[in-house]
Amino acid sequence: MIRVFFEYDFLTYSLYTGLMIGFLAPFIGVFLVVRRLALISDALSHITLSGIAFSLLLGKYYPLFSGLNPMYMGMVFSVGGAVIIERLRNIYRYYKELAIPIILSAGIGIGVVFISLADGFNTDLFQYLFGSVVAIREKDFMMISAITAIVFIMIVLFYKEWFFLSFDEEQASVSGIPKKPLHFLFMVMAALVIAASMKIVGILLVSSLMTLPVAAAMRWARGFKQMFVYSVLFGELSVVAGLVSSFHLDVSPGGMIVMINVVILVASIFLTKKTY
Amino acid sequence: MEWINQLTFLERGIIAGIVIGFLCPLLGAFLLVRRITIVSEALSHITLTGITAGVLMAQTLVWLPQQNPMYVGLLFSLIGSLFVEKLRELYKNFQELAIPIILSSGVGLSAILISLAKSSYTEWYNYLFGSIVTVMKEDLLFIVATGLVAFGLLFAFYKELLSISFDAEFAKVSGISVKKLNILFAVLIALVISMSMKVVGILLVGAMVTLPIAASIQLAKSFRQVIGLGILFGELSVLGGVAFSYHFGVATGGMIIIVGIILLIISVLIKKVFVQRSRFFSV
Repeated sequence: MIRVFFEYDFLTYSLYTGLMIGFLAPFIGVFLVVRRLALISDALSHITLSGIAFSLLLGKYYPLFSGLNPMYMGMVFSVGGAVIIERLRNIYRYYKELAIPIILSAGIGIGVVFISLADGFNTDLFQYLFGSVVAIREKDFMMISAITAIVFIMIVLFYKEWFFLSFDEEQASVSGIPKKPLHFLFMVMAALVIAASMKIVGILLVSSLMTLPVAAAMRWARGFKQMFVYSVLFGELSVVAGLVSSFHLDVSPGGMIVMINVVILVASIFLTKKTY
Repeated sequence: MEWINQLTFLERGIIAGIVIGFLCPLLGAFLLVRRITIVSEALSHITLTGITAGVLMAQTLVWLPQQNPMYVGLLFSLIGSLFVEKLRELYKNFQELAIPIILSSGVGLSAILISLAKSSYTEWYNYLFGSIVTVMKEDLLFIVATGLVAFGLLFAFYKELLSISFDAEFAKVSGISVKKLNILFAVLIALVISMSMKVVGILLVGAMVTLPIAASIQLAKSFRQVIGLGILFGELSVLGGVAFSYHFGVATGGMIIIVGIILLIISVLIKKVFVQRSRFFSV
């Protein structure tokens, strides 16, 4: 079943890309879930859509931009979205949780207007929304490899600081860890991972690859390190199984990956008894 | 019901828009004080699953009586809203995980169903992002009927809902059944979401619930004002959005949200100027 993935170049690319995002997304997801920021990934992925739409619109009017990969603009928007979320949290001091739905809906709304200005309601958009097995080109593959390398290096460098921040923010900032720059760096990492995963999983489903494996891992793990191991394991499993099955069944890979994750999660909930 | 046959497609869309612009912020105000605005996001994505299931059923099970996919959507969002409560109990210390789980499984399942149902992309885009020109006579009836039911429920239980939203403990002590009211709340959210979907689009219903209220809470001085201003902003964004989208030929849902965002930015700026001024005078 999996052999066909090595016979065609574009399938090999998407398989390798899938392996990379199956590692990256749950890994960053663990930090997000523990810091109770799981929803931010939703907001950031939706704002990525506006970025992509904006890039498509620019490409239509300025040929200079048409050669540009829309993913770059998506990343810029997603990092900008992370900054605005922080600002909104200050504006709504009593209703901090409002920041995320505002950005989430604004992201989609702006995205839709850009798309319809660019006459972009076509198949391409559907691939961006729900992912595609065949969308990975050599260029995308190179870019996602670069992102993986960057994020990996950052995790190795700042693991301790992020770990500390996740569990005890107060203590961490008292003991002299620069909280704001580290948080910003983390958000940039999350934005990068979202942009990297988007092509295969689809914008609307990226966040599930970051939260569902972690939610399942929480039921099994007996420590923070184990949580990483289980999440990455579930993530890889779902991505590979999802890619292979979606190719053979001719359905969207994002949907398949997420549903496999849901199955893993439901099984985990029923097989373990403890409540978190 | 004679008059409903004589409406043009634009009039139908505008009437539907007015109903939605009224009810979404009204519900949003309650969601805001209960701190669960994000629930509307999750349920709208579940509604998408229901709609895709409805479309797929209509295609494959030909022997079934033809039904509007919106009803299946309503059913799914009802089930989803009860499910959210259940998941909150399971992940007691990580309650906010319930929402992403529901949200992503909703979208995931609908992605699969969409690829199975070989409908045209345009039809899906209408459901996802809304379109004012596709509001049919039956849709308008559905919207008005669900709108009336939702409004009736809100009106009848206004006091109970208010007390449970602001002080759940006190409400419990004074003999209000919190559990029953939570279910009522879930039903209300499901109703409002499934009725708004046709005009604003599934991905944007959450915005209709959140943005007007986020703007009104900047300026309002009481809960009544939050509701009143919220409805005003809601109607303004719907009508403004419809007008602009008709002029520029842009997707209706997107334009409604853009107007909502502009209103939000204006109210944040007004608040800033106002606060600075009062500080200036008091010093």
